Amino acid sequence: MKMIRRALVAIGMAGLVAAALRLRGVGGTPPQSGGWRELSGPELG
Amino acid sequence: MTRVGIVGVGAVGARLARQLVSTEVEQVLIRDESRNRAELVARSLGDTAMVDRGEMTDPLDVDVVVLAGPGRLQATHAAVFVRNGQHVVSTSDDIDDVRALLALDHEARERGVHLVVGAGFAPGLTCVLAAHGAARFDHVDEIHVAKSGTGGPACARQHHRAVGRGALDWRDGGWEHRPGGSGRELCWFPDPIGAQDCYRAALPDALVLVPAFPGIRRVTARVSATRRDRLTARLPMLWPTHPEGGPGAVRVELRGVRGASRDVVVFGAMDRPAVAAGAVAAVAVGFAVDGMLRRPGAAGLAELVEPVPFLTELARRGVRAAIFEGDVAPSTSGGLGAS
Repeated sequence: MKMIRRALVAIGMAGLVAAALRLRGVGGTPPQSGGWRELSGPELG
Repeated sequence: MTRVGIVGVGAVGARLARQLVSTEVEQVLIRDESRNRAELVARSLGDTAMVDRGEMTDPLDVDVVVLAGPGRLQATHAAVFVRNGQHVVSTSDDIDDVRALLALDHEARERGVHLVVGAGFAPGLTCVLAAHGAARFDHVDEIHVAKSGTGGPACARQHHRAVGRGALDWRDGGWEHRPGGSGRELCWFPDPIGAQDCYRAALPDALVLVPAFPGIRRVTARVSATRRDRLTARLPMLWPTHPEGGPGAVRVELRGVRGASRDVVVFGAMDRPAVAAGAVAAVAVGFAVDGMLRRPGAAGLAELVEPVPFLTELARRGVRAAIFEGDVAPSTSGGLGAS
């Protein structure tokens, strides 16, 4: 009984850590400088 | 006299039908699993549009069939129409469906018909932007596609499925399977979408882009998603889909060699995904009818169309491409970083 309880607690803890990592994620690069400009006729050609 | 059949008139199909009746198409035959929806759309379009009461794979007496129904069924439908010797334009963005559509290439070539694969917002407009951007390079090494937003309910369900399934990237001459929902990157889309966290997902963009760029080293695709999307991606959808998605955007980053130096070019577009997908499919229909597709067989738009006339016609219909001007930051994955 004690072993089952420990196993369930361990699984629960692992699940919580996995969920936290999944929600947090890693990476991401902030925008630098510049902006978007619509393509006009000559640029399409 | 040009006759076009549309199979599936959800958010994309209805927009496509409206685009077609406003141009040179003489008749649009509409077929949908929901007869009421088909009649509603046909009534709103006037005399040019008619409802076809056949089953989904029954023969259609048209020049071009556009498949705008649920993504996972389009390969089955396309096979029937290709065997009938009809040109087909598919808007599917389901990875398995796109793979099956591309597998029809041999049969479509034998019959001399066009099968345009992925004629939507992404893949679709992204493929044309990639082809357009490639002209600025001597050699393109990497293409990284990102998209944000969904069209109608079917598109939202597809987005949900895609984030929960494995992604397929092209890396150094081979396919690489990666977990869906992994590989977060902050991608900078055209205004007003701006910066969005994007993740790997089961997206078919690499499948249609790799054949169009022989020798390319990397092709990846990501989709914007919230943390809730990632957490619940492997569960059934827990909330109802919106009948019409909000604004969306696509972003295509190309890295390659120009002259003696390496360079990066980023193209993008912002629109409602269903509206843009309808316009892309309509222009693809025009190209098929006018014989402006490069070859018969199944392929994506990057392989089949001249990008400049395609983008010019899209711009005439209100879907405008943009280019990013400024510093493009290096990214953690070596490609898709924000600009």
